[in-house]
Amino acid sequence: MTRPPGGLLPLDALGAKGPYRSQNRLTVADVTGEGVAELSLVPPLFVGRTVTALREASPPPPDERAALLTRAARLFATAELGGQSAEDYRHAVSRVGGVPISVVRTAAESVAARLSRVYESVQQARPTGTVNDWRDPLTRTGRGVWLRRGEVFAVHAAGNHPGTHSLWPEALAMGYRVAVRPSRRDPFTPHRIVTALRAAGFGDDQVALLPTDHDRADALLRDADLGLVYGGEDVVRKYAGDPAVLLQGPGRSKMLLTADVDWRDHLDTIADSVSGHGGTGCVNTTAVFVQGDPAPLCAALAERLAGLVGLPPQEEKAVLPVLPAAAARAVEAHLLHRAAGTRPWLGGDGVVDELGDGSAALRPAVHQLDRPDAPQAGVELPFPCVWVAPWTPRDGIAPLRNSLVLTAVTHDDRLLDRLVTEPTIGNVYTGDHRTYEMRPGLPHDGYLAEFLMRSKSVIRD
Amino acid sequence: MLPAVPEVLNLPFDAPLDPDEFVRAAMEWHFNPETGSPYWLERAPTLGFDPRADVRSHRDLALFPNVAAELRDVRVEDLIPRGYGPRPDVVGVFESGGTTGAPKRVVLLRDWLDRMLAWSNANLDAHGFGRGANWLGIVPTGPHIVGEFFRGSATTHGTHGFTIDLDPRWVKRLIAQGRGHDADAYAEHLVDQAECVLRSQDIGVLTITPSLLERVARRDDLVKLVNEKVRAIRWGGTRLDPDSRQIYRTEVFPGTVLCGNYGSTMILGMAGERPGLPPEGPCVFDAPGPHVTFSVVDPQTLRPVGYGERGRVLVNHISASFLLPNNLERDLATRIEPPAGRVGDSVADIAPVATFENETVIEGVY
Repeated sequence: MTRPPGGLLPLDALGAKGPYRSQNRLTVADVTGEGVAELSLVPPLFVGRTVTALREASPPPPDERAALLTRAARLFATAELGGQSAEDYRHAVSRVGGVPISVVRTAAESVAARLSRVYESVQQARPTGTVNDWRDPLTRTGRGVWLRRGEVFAVHAAGNHPGTHSLWPEALAMGYRVAVRPSRRDPFTPHRIVTALRAAGFGDDQVALLPTDHDRADALLRDADLGLVYGGEDVVRKYAGDPAVLLQGPGRSKMLLTADVDWRDHLDTIADSVSGHGGTGCVNTTAVFVQGDPAPLCAALAERLAGLVGLPPQEEKAVLPVLPAAAARAVEAHLLHRAAGTRPWLGGDGVVDELGDGSAALRPAVHQLDRPDAPQAGVELPFPCVWVAPWTPRDGIAPLRNSLVLTAVTHDDRLLDRLVTEPTIGNVYTGDHRTYEMRPGLPHDGYLAEFLMRSKSVIRD
Repeated sequence: MLPAVPEVLNLPFDAPLDPDEFVRAAMEWHFNPETGSPYWLERAPTLGFDPRADVRSHRDLALFPNVAAELRDVRVEDLIPRGYGPRPDVVGVFESGGTTGAPKRVVLLRDWLDRMLAWSNANLDAHGFGRGANWLGIVPTGPHIVGEFFRGSATTHGTHGFTIDLDPRWVKRLIAQGRGHDADAYAEHLVDQAECVLRSQDIGVLTITPSLLERVARRDDLVKLVNEKVRAIRWGGTRLDPDSRQIYRTEVFPGTVLCGNYGSTMILGMAGERPGLPPEGPCVFDAPGPHVTFSVVDPQTLRPVGYGERGRVLVNHISASFLLPNNLERDLATRIEPPAGRVGDSVADIAPVATFENETVIEGVY
């Protein structure tokens, strides 16, 4: 895959027989509208044939899978892959997705780190009553064996943040064959990971990249055994009834600060949770609930975030997400529409910061709500945008439901009991923890293995 | 004694003729009170021009308004030219798919069906379809015209025609209602039925839509069966993208002739794939002119786009049996130069506009 001088980087589909360049290609443009790469889009026929080939292939033995993943992690982080150096790759993600380059760099490091430890991460999820192999001596007296629920796992990848791609390689560690449909906003990361996995020694029939146009996106889910889909409310509605699809829906991560703590001690944590990683993640804080008057917290938060300035995403000091100007204006219009009736502290007259090259950064927004059940508290937007609401124990945990991550800064253990046991809250942190804190081995939205694996009793003589 | 159909309208399909002379004869036939249809004779005074005097050439057909929408309500008896006499040889009444509202209706007369089949059979010969084979078609047997053409092709070019009925309106309704799983189940049901025929009968030609062909291709045992028995696959009804076409030709059905058709009920026929195209190029369809002609136009101005550019397909049907000029179809196509001596355009890569991701969703971060 060589790039013609000044031309578009060809991003081939990666099928079961190797790279495939289709006639139907999509120009991937950066935030200014300039073409960067040309992505080969495959038809459903190609998807079906690839999935069939993946299903017929046997995975490498478990130890080898672990070694290959570790090798792939190193290649992903450092090697020239598909004609693209690690630096070129990060630049492309930053320019096309509008993600600040420092965020891309950190994310790429964390993807590599997680990739090299996938095998251990997956073992964290294994039920303690099970073994990995039916040949384990323990099955002589009867034992649970941990097994795949299917053979081919399909992923409709997200494009908001490269870090989301650290999850699906876990399926390879479990022996699944994996096919990824990339997002137009970041086809580079999954292309690079799949290329690295192949360069490390995974066969072409173990892991594939299948870009498709929007109308044909369902072909991959239909053909695979199990699937993972990222998306907003619309996607959740579409797939909610499908037991073969694992949904990674809206994050709507939140923070709660009760009266027995002083929020001033946690202002850094709050501001970072809202704006860290460019505020583009599902684990960024969407709403903050505070016991007492929210106004001083809003004032302090607005002052802190007001200092963030728009810069082209590839600049070292960039911290805010950048979009094509028209898309940024659409986000702004949506924000202003949804914010009607709230008290703006920052961004009330707009958040678009035109960069003069056809792109625009989205500056932070802080809005005060007058009650904890205001609908705005659930409005998650892809930039540092936070809603601050008053909360009292009388309001209970209802406003805190439907959160991917909840950081509760409180000494009230009874409240924590209720939050930890609440099924619609994915993860609970207490104390001074940013909502985007994540570590290998910890579940992000449950363990992926909870969906991909099952336990089966094996008894043998 | 009725006036005879003018010879120029009834020449054999491969006879050389002057397209403008052909158009003038058609105008004389359709707008003469003795031979024209009640529908067109009643419509003529509202046109603002006199077709018999003012339409002198193929180009002048652009004077006509697009009356296709009126075919939703016209009595079918009023569509038959009086020149066919009191007992016209009507093969059947057929309907469009109704994608853009209520279905539109046309009448198929025997002489046009015979002409269309002769033209189509010659195209199949040019592609190397062996004569005398049994045909299996997964096609609408009604109310769309394709089932009638299938049976005609199967019994004139081939021997016996086996049909599996496909109801595209039901599939469209299922999909519109978000019942994708039901649409899938229906499609698999069709393939199951086709498999029964393929296993038990000597099928040499398969007529199928691209989306069903893709389902066939997903079943290894069926691919094997098709490769063993079927010598030619004729596809049509929806688009077949160039990448899939190449994969079929080179990997899935390498020993089988693959030939596309682009047609519709409102055309009262179809355009056949140009023989001898390279596998990697686009699929080009040549219209059976001068009776059926295409132009690829800008949908706003209705002016032709340049060769190699994309636009909407505009269709003229002009035969003794039927007149429907200036019908703007919803398909997009690339404009291609027609074969030497033909009027109108050839078309390639019939397709809807490609989309990748929904641009309008704003809330959410993925």
